[in-house]
Amino acid sequence: MNRRAFFATATGAAICAPFVASPAHAYEEQVRLRELYNNDMSFTDFALEQEGKRVAIEGFMAPPLKAESQFYVLTNRPMAVCPFCSSEAEWPNDILAVYAKRVVDVIPFNVMIVTRGVLELGTYTDPELGFVSRVRVVDATQERV
Amino acid sequence: MFQRTIVTAMAMTLCASTAIAQDLPQASSEYFTAAQANLEAAIAREPNTNQATNIILFVADGMGVGTNYGIRLFQGQQMGLLGEEHNLVYDLYPNTAIIKTYNINAQTPDSAPTAGAMNTGVKQVFNTINMADTVVHDDCSTESPLRLFSEMLSDAGKSVGVVSTARITHATGAAVYAKTANRNWEDEAPEGCTDIATQLIEQMEAGVIDIALGGGISAFAPEGTELAVGSGGRPDDANLIERAQAAGARFVYDADTLAAADAGAPILGLFSGSHMSYEYDRPETEPSLADLTAAAIEQLEGNGDGEGFYLVVEAGRVDHASHGGNAYRAFTDGVAFAEAVALADEMTDDENTLIIVTADHEHVISFNGYCGRGTPITGLCMGVASGQVEHSGEPALADDGMPYTVVSYTNGAGSVLVEQEDGTYAGSRPEVTQEAAMDPDYLQQALIPMGSETHSGVDVALWAKGPWAHLFGGTMDQEMIFHVMNHAAFGAAE
Ligand SMILES: [Zn+2]
Repeated sequence: MNRRAFFATATGAAICAPFVASPAHAYEEQVRLRELYNNDMSFTDFALEQEGKRVAIEGFMAPPLKAESQFYVLTNRPMAVCPFCSSEAEWPNDILAVYAKRVVDVIPFNVMIVTRGVLELGTYTDPELGFVSRVRVVDATQERV
Repeated sequence: MFQRTIVTAMAMTLCASTAIAQDLPQASSEYFTAAQANLEAAIAREPNTNQATNIILFVADGMGVGTNYGIRLFQGQQMGLLGEEHNLVYDLYPNTAIIKTYNINAQTPDSAPTAGAMNTGVKQVFNTINMADTVVHDDCSTESPLRLFSEMLSDAGKSVGVVSTARITHATGAAVYAKTANRNWEDEAPEGCTDIATQLIEQMEAGVIDIALGGGISAFAPEGTELAVGSGGRPDDANLIERAQAAGARFVYDADTLAAADAGAPILGLFSGSHMSYEYDRPETEPSLADLTAAAIEQLEGNGDGEGFYLVVEAGRVDHASHGGNAYRAFTDGVAFAEAVALADEMTDDENTLIIVTADHEHVISFNGYCGRGTPITGLCMGVASGQVEHSGEPALADDGMPYTVVSYTNGAGSVLVEQEDGTYAGSRPEVTQEAAMDPDYLQQALIPMGSETHSGVDVALWAKGPWAHLFGGTMDQEMIFHVMNHAAFGAAE
């Protein structure tokens, strides 16, 4: 409930004042996605320290779940779609859900990108997509590395 | 003249061959003396014609000769060696064969019919498991099941176990107990056919399967059911874990509960929602492949009837790592596989246990040259140094002036051709540093763009020791594995 309120605020703020939330990139910690998770899928100290702060996370944009969306999934390695590995849409554990500032221009799944935005921790179910995430970057922008 | 002398020397036994050695200028070379020692061992070797009490079939999914080469160097380098001189534990097994892997209707095989061939003695149809050659993939009405090695052994009083780091319902493991027109019917099947997870429980109830340890718990409970690890994903309302327990099986779900399980009753162990972790990513709560293998052997031996067992152990994720274009995880899972083989070897007796180590198929992995000795197998190809022994420390350069890694894949996610905004593919080889190449998450450069790197039809190797292992040799079809196992278990007694 709180989280949804936060989203409304964050999105609203972004629309009204798109340039407000753009601190110089040099001040953000830029790390690989794997820096957020330990092997047992607990959050790293880095993730806990950066909660609520702006971060820059390197990873790969998984093929989007739906077109013309502000939502995508960042993966640690390119998300191979393997007919022999998984019979249905099956995500690795170490992913990051991204809620972008605006509709996302799709970047191929095997091109490394950096996603910048505010780090959120804790389980959240997307009311529209039903996508359950444990960690998110919101108010995000992304570009090729 | 030289040839004839050798023949004479061999006829005259070892002393003579050693005498020849002393006359040669190369005789003091370590390569020469090691080869002489191996020769002596080969001459002294006698075929083991005992009846096999136990048979252990190790399958590293997707570990053809090339992939095995990468694993060998990777483990050797982890041990501080240059790498090339190292041997994996099974590399030294006395009996080997080259194995052809094609399916009835596929030049490039998949893991279902290949494992099926090992368990039935006949080639099978692409994407199906343990069905006659008349089956049509995905057509339930054409199912015509074959009889399995596990069923034959169970009837003869032996225990049967299956272990995998993939989902236990995934192709290789499933081929030990299931029969299906579609390998993907893991948690549901059309009317009139039975999904693979249900077949596993049926085979446990029938007393065919005594131990099943692996991933893939979600296929064993209804959608949304909270489980010890992950949650259920079955579209129907069958709770197969409870059904197995009702039939007397014990259920385990992590390293601790596995270690605490007493021998005796059947065991169902499901350690993750889908596939288990890659060895590199594995949390301590998840047992390793060696842990699973040791537990299975202890339990099967502890069944107490002394009749022996058949155990199939799959390293399921060597394959998945290569599908993802990531050689590092393919090799680390391969090392975990070799460790499981070593442990099983230690726990059993060559006199009564046939151990077979093989793969179901190869991948489109290749190894570039010309790299100097000790070049890190997941890193850049380093030049050959003049003067010996180690590589020059300078990356070899391609005609584009850039370095390249030893490993590359012919197709897959690591393709240098990337989709452009207009849907075409274009690109060029990026410059790669040694640090980037050695990163565990690095994808080796590939050519043909594909969302998933593919299998290859290239032969795989087989290594064996124990009763009747000497029947393996030359180039063989994959189904010969069944025939040799069958002879070792039954034929020797006739
Ligand atoms: Zn595969």
